Amino acid sequence: MKVIVVDDSSTMRRIIKNTLARLGYTDIIEAEHGLDALTKLDGVDMIFTDWNMPEMDGLTFVKSIRSSDSYKKIPIIMVTTEAAKEDIVEAIQSGVNNYVVKPFTPDILKSKIEAVLNR
Amino acid sequence: MNVEYLNPFIKSTVNALSTMACLEPSRGNPYLRKTGQKIECDISGTIGVAGEASGSVTVSFSESVARKIVENMLGIQVDSLNDDVKDAVGEIANMIAGGAKGELSEKGYSFKIALPVVCIGKDHYTEYPKDIPCVVIPFSVEEGAFYVEICLKVDDNGK
Repeated sequence: MKVIVVDDSSTMRRIIKNTLARLGYTDIIEAEHGLDALTKLDGVDMIFTDWNMPEMDGLTFVKSIRSSDSYKKIPIIMVTTEAAKEDIVEAIQSGVNNYVVKPFTPDILKSKIEAVLNR
Repeated sequence: MNVEYLNPFIKSTVNALSTMACLEPSRGNPYLRKTGQKIECDISGTIGVAGEASGSVTVSFSESVARKIVENMLGIQVDSLNDDVKDAVGEIANMIAGGAKGELSEKGYSFKIALPVVCIGKDHYTEYPKDIPCVVIPFSVEEGAFYVEICLKVDDNGK
C-alpha cells in the first residue's frame, strides 16, 4: 500500500512516517502542502494530511480530492492540532474519513487507520 | 486574565511534551509579565490567535531543553539549534495552541490559530501591545526551565 504524508512540518512528517513504518507501511512519500501533494497522488492508496499549511491548506486539499474523478475514493486521515469539535465536524463534512488530533500516540494512529480500512 | 483561559494551555503543554517527547514537565506559579521583562531562552515558537480571543501564545526554551525535546521526539542526536529543532519548536507551539483551542471552544470561545513563527537568539523577547495582559507559565524538566506566555485579549461579550 502506497501512502502520502502531507504536512509542512518536517518533524511531523518524520514522526508519522516512523509510526507508519513500524505498522508495516514501507511505500511512503511526502508532500509539504496540499498543492505539492496534488502532483504526487498517482498510485496513492491512503492520504495523511495536516490542516494548517501554507500554499494550500488541508481542508482545501481534501475538497480538491473529493471533487476529482481520479482520486475521490482515496481514504483520507487528517492529522492536525485543530482539536475543536466544530473543526472535526467541518473536516468530516469536507470528506475526511478519520481525524487524529496532535499530539497522538502510535496506538491512536493505528486504530484510526484500522477503522478506515475496515469500513 | 481569568484562570479559566490559562488551564487549557497548561494541560495542552503537558500533553504535548508527555505524548510526543516522553517528558513530564513540572509547573511553577504563573505570573504577569511586566513590560520589557525578559525570559531566559534561546529559541521560541509563537502562534498568533484571532477571534473571540486574540493575541499570541509563545513557548520559549533554552537550547538544552529544546535539544532534549527533539531528541526524544525524533530519536536522533541533536548538537545545535538546527532545522530539526526549529521545526519541532514550531510544532510544539502549534500543539499547545491547538489543544487549548479545542478546550476553550467547548467553553464557548471560538478563535483561529495561525502558522507558527520561530525565533532564535540568546534571551530574545517579544514586546506585546500594552492593552493585552501577558501571563507567563514557567515549567521545568530535568534539562532546565521553559516558559509558555499567554498574551490574550478575550471577548467576554455574551458569555
